[in-house]
Amino acid sequence: MTTNLESTRHPVQDLNHAIEFCYQQGWTDGLPVVPPTERAVRAMLEAAALEPQQQVAFITNRQVAVTAEKVAVNAVMAGCLPEYLPVVVAAIEGIADPTWGYHGPATSTGGAAVLMIVNGPIAARLGFNSGDNLFGPGWRANATVGRAVRLVMRNVIGTLPGALDRGTVGHPGKYSYVIAENETESPWPPLHVQRGFAAQQSTVTVLAAEGPHQFYNQLSSTATGVLTSLCDDMKHHGSTNGQPQYVVVLAGEHMRTIANDGWSKADIQKFVFENSQNSLAHLKRVERLAGAVTLEDETTMRPIVPSPEDVLVVAAGGRAGAFSCYIPAWAGGKKSSQGVTKLIPDRRV
Amino acid sequence: MAAMEILDPTVEPRKQPLTFVPRPDSLTGKRIGLVENTKFNSDKLLAKIGEILKQEYGAAECTMWRKHNSSVPAHQEIIDEAKRGVDVVVAGIGD
Repeated sequence: MTTNLESTRHPVQDLNHAIEFCYQQGWTDGLPVVPPTERAVRAMLEAAALEPQQQVAFITNRQVAVTAEKVAVNAVMAGCLPEYLPVVVAAIEGIADPTWGYHGPATSTGGAAVLMIVNGPIAARLGFNSGDNLFGPGWRANATVGRAVRLVMRNVIGTLPGALDRGTVGHPGKYSYVIAENETESPWPPLHVQRGFAAQQSTVTVLAAEGPHQFYNQLSSTATGVLTSLCDDMKHHGSTNGQPQYVVVLAGEHMRTIANDGWSKADIQKFVFENSQNSLAHLKRVERLAGAVTLEDETTMRPIVPSPEDVLVVAAGGRAGAFSCYIPAWAGGKKSSQGVTKLIPDRRV
Repeated sequence: MAAMEILDPTVEPRKQPLTFVPRPDSLTGKRIGLVENTKFNSDKLLAKIGEILKQEYGAAECTMWRKHNSSVPAHQEIIDEAKRGVDVVVAGIGD
């Protein structure tokens, strides 16, 4: 690649100075970054066969063009390996998609992070964790891909905390919030196949999302039992007034219990949709809806999502332990933001 | 002496000329547009503001539009109608 890189160069004395310089410029998420040298940035771009000035995305409300060069600079800073760049690029394409609707979820006091679910062969090839300690630290791909996306949001798009990121409480997923589906052990079709891609394609699904809410059921050996506990938790959690979607992440034990009863993902979606509804009377009594409770409100049910298909079911998490979780999408309603699945092209050169 | 160079991860904002219509000296006889963001009570708040602008500042009339929801910009229909039908717009968040 001979194309010039257009980014401004900053001279620094040594590695430590470079790290501190990045802090001083306000370029980090609070953790130290890897200094983005030209050599590292070029290696990143070459691994993905991307030209530096290629536009990856355009953020309409900010009128910002996100180029491959800037994505690569931030991916280096986040600690990505060069081969991760196509995943970062696809995720950026996703959050720039009008269906994801960048401005709302990136800026809202609701404090959403970008949940990224990686599917397809690339997940295992790049070492994305889909098992133990699913949302926890310890896996470079999970930790740095999400971090790179957040650094692009910060440094390129201007989504700065306190300015254009006004999350009231936010959550730790804003550092990185990346999982893969456990396609090897899952008894069900993976998420990307449900969303219209081929099993051998790789994708990343981006969803504006709250943090994961863990639930447990150590008693039941039936699908109905496990999912009844889930629904009891889901319908009473903090935000039940307009989530466009939820993700339900079923870990090993629960996954096997539910599959042993012969349930498909569609069965799970239908059960969760039907059993996580609240009466209008309840929502009014707990001050989530305005107005006096009427007799009719006692029997008028409000689903937590518009349809069963809006419950995205993902098999992931450790094999042991009767725990799973659900993740509410950001509460802007479907016109504001929905999950978007983007193809990760095989860019190996 | 610098031993290494690093690349800037930020973007220089693209320069966009933004022009604002001059603020009116007076609201007397002006047509007021109110952009309601759908949040609870925002319609009441803006209606009240509209009444004050009419009664205390002599505005001629008020038109209220409702956005699709609070997290998105006013849609094109609102923009087009505002251009055609009002002189001043008041927008605000309702929670």
